[in-house]
Amino acid sequence: MNYLLTHSITESAKRFPERQAFVFMNRSLSYKELEQQSNQLANLLIDLGVKKGDRVGIYMNRSLESSIAVYGIMKAGAAYVPLDPDAPIKRTQFLIEDCEIEVLITNSIKKRQVKEIIDAKTQLKSCIGFKDGLTINTIPWEEVLQQSEETPSISILGNDLAYIMYTSGSTGLPKGIMHSHNSGLAYAKLSADLYELTEEDRIGNHAPLHFDISTFGYFTGPFVGATTVIIPDPHTKMPASLAQLIEKEQLSIWYSVPLALVQLLQSKSIEKADMSALRWVLYGGEVFPTKHLNALMQIWPSCQFSNVYGPAEVNQCTYYTVQEPPKEDEMIPLGKVWGNTEKLILNQDDGLAKRGEVGELLIRSATMMKGYWNQSELTKKSLYTLRINSTYKKVFYRTGDLVKLDENNDLLFLGRKDRQIKIRGYRVELDEVVGVLSINTAVHEAAVFAITKEGTVHIAAVIILKEEGLITVEELRDHLNQNLPKYAVPETILIGKQLPRTSNGKINHLELEKTLEIEEE
Amino acid sequence: MKEELIAYIKSELIGDDTMEMNSEDDLLTSGLIDSLAIMRFIGHIEATHEIKVAPQDMVIENFINVDAIADYIQRTKNS
Repeated sequence: MNYLLTHSITESAKRFPERQAFVFMNRSLSYKELEQQSNQLANLLIDLGVKKGDRVGIYMNRSLESSIAVYGIMKAGAAYVPLDPDAPIKRTQFLIEDCEIEVLITNSIKKRQVKEIIDAKTQLKSCIGFKDGLTINTIPWEEVLQQSEETPSISILGNDLAYIMYTSGSTGLPKGIMHSHNSGLAYAKLSADLYELTEEDRIGNHAPLHFDISTFGYFTGPFVGATTVIIPDPHTKMPASLAQLIEKEQLSIWYSVPLALVQLLQSKSIEKADMSALRWVLYGGEVFPTKHLNALMQIWPSCQFSNVYGPAEVNQCTYYTVQEPPKEDEMIPLGKVWGNTEKLILNQDDGLAKRGEVGELLIRSATMMKGYWNQSELTKKSLYTLRINSTYKKVFYRTGDLVKLDENNDLLFLGRKDRQIKIRGYRVELDEVVGVLSINTAVHEAAVFAITKEGTVHIAAVIILKEEGLITVEELRDHLNQNLPKYAVPETILIGKQLPRTSNGKINHLELEKTLEIEEE
Repeated sequence: MKEELIAYIKSELIGDDTMEMNSEDDLLTSGLIDSLAIMRFIGHIEATHEIKVAPQDMVIENFINVDAIADYIQRTKNS
């Protein structure tokens, strides 16, 4: 019976041993090879002392080995923690310490960064991916392939931890979203069913491993025995090469943030390439500008287009298939909740919102997280309990997204309840940026807010120094670059004299936004 | 030309003038430059070298490292 994420590989290896499981550049792994090599990695991890429930980091760019890492770690009974390979070292160190990672799986491209992490004295004990004279145990990838191919005999249950994904936290530090085999597999089953996946499909996986969109390629593909093509980093930056790859690999399903598709569209190479194998385009993470969605739907008329919505805490929770190329000002709905999922729309007083009234969306689903790693208070705050009687209750996740139902009973997204924004699909808590600025000793106070320039959202910061001339804008930018991922660093940084206040003394973000948007024009 | 390109990448795209970079270093795999920085870089190349980078020229072979970029600029100028 299939009740763990790892069972997908074992089952598919029995049914389709020679079928490609993952493809990267000119290399691929069949299901049989993936089953063997993930067992080998699991056995090595167990030899290194990894126990059930431990967290193991994956620190690598898009690569074929990432698939072995994901499944090898879970087969050892541990949870995988994907680390952003481009994040500043300080942030990576924080994540390693926060969830007590002792073993890191990486490759030789990251050698320099791994050395910096080790120099900072984390609790890291071993590193798999290259051999080097570092102070910790380093094991080259070839050694993984010398281990036993036997499936490790570890008792793992569906409710056990499978992976932790970190996202921006409003308190100034990232938070880890914990998912079990149950919630990950529920997502794989529901998405396979909804998008009618079969073993014949070839999935284009554009998202990096630390972005939750990657679970479609990494979990749903293997669940049905399909092939997942990992889009290499260079192709994500060169749209004309990406178009060639989609044609060459005969991709049938694509899932990414809208930006990747917009760049593809603008490269004009899309019309020349033969992409007739493509049958379904999924996009998520942020709103697709209707002008571009319209153009794309005209070019690929035989393709289905679906808007995917769901915070990483619940994987996915609603679906909407776009029937006709949308008009310029049309709002694409989030759609309806999918299987095994229930929703509530609550008003400010936690009462049920009336029909057509705007409220916060709450979700209860089989795909829901276990909570935030090591943050019970934050977990409690993110949940809403509906008591049915003294022994039975329903627990919902508060998405923080403001929605209302339209006349077709489809959910419409109308904004955020808090100060979270999306930059290229990545979640950024503006207060995390404030938190990072505040730890700089020269900063007295900082206001961070979003502004819209030519239809694109940017982050801006206005900073009041403790004393004039203590620090320059350039030095502040360096400080931010050292502590935040690139997408979260404000594009506009200004040093000001004072911040505008509302009548009750709070920073008046609205006025700041207005002033800056006028200046930018 | 290669020195100018390297200097621009270091100071404007990465924001670290002190780092070491050679003209054969892979710019696209390493994560040094993201897709938005690439767009800025192409704008810079078009402005300083008075060429037009056609959308279909945005392929890995032309932009993998500074050597390839310099070669591409030269070819485009001559054509």
